[in-house]
Amino acid sequence: MKIEKLLHKLQAFFDTNTHKKREHIEELKKILLKLKKKERKITHSLEQTDDECLIKHYQTELEIIRVQRKKGIEVLQLLKERKKN
Amino acid sequence: MHKALLLIVIPLLSYGFWLSVEFKGIAAGVSIFLFGMLSLEQGFKAFTGGVLERILQKTTDTTWKSFGFGFLSASLMQSSSLVSVITISFLSAGLLDLVAGIGIVFGSNLGTTTGAWLIAGLGLKVNIATYAMPILVFGVLCIFQNGKQLKGIGYILTGLGFLLLGIHYMKESFEHFENTINLAEYAMPGVKGLLIYTALGIIATIIMQSSHATMLLTITAVSVHQITYDNALALAIGANVGTTITAIIAAFGANIQGKRLAGSHLLINLCTGIFVLVFIKQFGVAVDFISQNLGIAGTDHAMKLATFHSLFNLTGIILFFPFINQQVTLLEKLFIEKRSNIFKPKYLDSSAMDFPETVVESVRLESIHLYENAIHVILRTFGLHKRDLQTKDLLKQLIDQNNHPIEYDIDANYEKRIKGIYSAIIAFISQAGFPLEMPQSSRLSWLREANKRTVEAIKDTKHLQKNWTQSRSSTNQVKIDEYNKIAYQIILHIQKIETFRHEIEGNELPLLSLDALKATIKDDDMQMIRTIETLIRDRKITPETGSSLINDSAYMRSIKKNLLKAAETLFLHDNTVNNQVEQQLSLNETEINDVVQTVDTK
Repeated sequence: MKIEKLLHKLQAFFDTNTHKKREHIEELKKILLKLKKKERKITHSLEQTDDECLIKHYQTELEIIRVQRKKGIEVLQLLKERKKN
Repeated sequence: MHKALLLIVIPLLSYGFWLSVEFKGIAAGVSIFLFGMLSLEQGFKAFTGGVLERILQKTTDTTWKSFGFGFLSASLMQSSSLVSVITISFLSAGLLDLVAGIGIVFGSNLGTTTGAWLIAGLGLKVNIATYAMPILVFGVLCIFQNGKQLKGIGYILTGLGFLLLGIHYMKESFEHFENTINLAEYAMPGVKGLLIYTALGIIATIIMQSSHATMLLTITAVSVHQITYDNALALAIGANVGTTITAIIAAFGANIQGKRLAGSHLLINLCTGIFVLVFIKQFGVAVDFISQNLGIAGTDHAMKLATFHSLFNLTGIILFFPFINQQVTLLEKLFIEKRSNIFKPKYLDSSAMDFPETVVESVRLESIHLYENAIHVILRTFGLHKRDLQTKDLLKQLIDQNNHPIEYDIDANYEKRIKGIYSAIIAFISQAGFPLEMPQSSRLSWLREANKRTVEAIKDTKHLQKNWTQSRSSTNQVKIDEYNKIAYQIILHIQKIETFRHEIEGNELPLLSLDALKATIKDDDMQMIRTIETLIRDRKITPETGSSLINDSAYMRSIKKNLLKAAETLFLHDNTVNNQVEQQLSLNETEINDVVQTVDTK
C-alpha cells in the first residue's frame, strides 16, 4: 500500500500537467492573499477620508475586489477538485 | 484707455462742456462718428467666419490682388483698422504670407483716403443729416431681426448713419465755434508748426484710435478756417502715422508674422510721413497743381486736404511698394522668431532601426515620453503641476483654491510638447514598415493607437477648458463646484494611473486594478449626470449650465478612458504567468457594470 502511494506521488511529480496545476494553484493563492491585503488597505483608507469622491471610489474598488476574490475562490476550488481527480 | 488717463480726461471734457456749447457739439460729433465706426466694424464682423474669409483667400494670391483687396475693403468698410486686424489674424493663422499682408496694408492705406473725399466732398457740402436719418431707421429695423446676416446689415447701416450724423454735428458746431473762439489764432507757421501739429495729429489719432476721426476734425476745422491749411496738412501727416497704433495693439496678441506686419505698417507710414515732411513745399505745389486740374477751387482747403491725403498715401505706395520683398527681409531681421523650446524625441534613434525589438522598445519609451508631456499639459490646464499629484489629501483643496487661473495656452503647448514627438513617432513607425505577420507589427500598431488616444485626451481637455475657465468667474458657486468636481475627478484618475504604474513595478496586481479604474469611470459619469439633473430640478443651475456640464462630463469621461487605454498599452508590457492568472480573475464588461449598479444602489 505504501509503495503504491509512493509510486503515485512520483508519477505526479514527473507529470508536467500536474506540476503546472500545482504552480497555478500556488499562484492563485498568492493573488488571493494580495487581494485580501489590498482590501484591508482600502477599507482603512475609506475609514480615514470624508471626501465624497474618494469614498465612492473606495467603495467601488472594494466591491471590485470582492467580486474578483469570489471568482478566484471558485477557480481555486475547481482546480483543487480537478487535481484530486 | 488707461483708467488714470480716463480720470484726467473726464473732468477736462466736463470743464470744456461747461465752458462752451460748441465744444460739446464737436465732442458729441466725434463720439457719434466713432460709435458709427464701431457699429460698422460690428456689422462687418457678422460676415467674418465665412464670406469675408473666402473672399480674402481668393483675392490675395498675388501682391496686386492683395493691394486691390486692401483698397476695396478699406473703402467699403471705411476702417483701415478692421482690415488691419483681420489681416493680422489671417497672417497669424498662416492663411496669408507676409508679402500678401503688406500688399493689403498698402491697399488699405489708399482705401482709407476715400473717407477724406467723402467728408470734404459730400459731408461739408450737402446736408448729410437728412440722409443719415432714414439710414439709421432702416439700420435699427434690421438689427432687431433674428438672422445673423440681417443683423450685420443693420449694424452696417446704423454705422453709416452715425458716421454721417457725426460729420453733421461737427460741421454745425464748428460753424458756431467760428463766431466765439478763433482757433486760427493758435496757428503756427514754419517748421515748428509743422512738427507740433504732426505730433498733435499722432496723439489725437492714438487717443481716438481712428485716423478717420482726426481727418474729419481737421477737414471740418480747415473748412471753417479754424486752423490754417499748413497746420491741417501736418495734422493729416500725423493722422497717417498715428493710425498704425491699431495694428500695433492687435499685433500684441498675434504671432511673429502679425508683429512683422504691424512693424511694416508703422515703417511704411512713418517713412512716408518723414519724406512728406521734408518735401512739404513740393507737396504743396503738387496738391495745387492736381487740384487745379481736378477743378477744385484754390480756396477750397477741405478738398485740397483730401487731395493731399490721397497724394500722401500714393507717395508711400510709389516709394515702398516695389520693395516689398526687401521689406520682408528687413522685417524678418528686425523681428526674429524666438526658437521656442520645442520638445524633441528622446528615444527614436536611427540606430534603433536595426532590430525589430529595439524599434518597438524605442517607440514604447517615446510614447511614454509623449504621455508624460500630455499629463503635464492636462494638469497645467487645471492650474496644477505634476508635483501636486503627491499631495494626496490636499489635491481637492488645491483645485478649489484655484479660482482665478491664467488661461493655459493648450494650443501653444500642444505645438511645443506634443506635436513634434507625436509626428516623430508616427514617422518612425512608418519607416519601420514591418510585415504584418511579424509580432512586432501588431505591437507597433497598438502603440500607434495608444499615442492617438493620448493626443485625443489633450483635444478633449481643450474642449473642456473653455467652459471650465468661464466657470471661474461665475457668480453661481454651485456651477463652480461642479466644474471643480470635473477637474478633481480627472486629476484623481491621473493619480490612480500613476499608482497603477507603481503597482506594475512592484508586481501588485496591476491587471486587477484596471477593473477598479474602469468601474470608477462609469460610476463617476453616472453620478455626475444624476447630480446635474438634481441641480436643474432644484433650480440651482440653469438648464443651459446643465447642458454644458453634461457635455463637459462627456469630455471628462473621454479623457479618462483615453488615458487609461494609453496607459494600459504603454505600461503593461510583460506577458508574465502572473498576468495570465490575474487575467482569470479580471472582470468583463458585464461584471464591471454589475459592480457599478451594486455600489450605486448601496
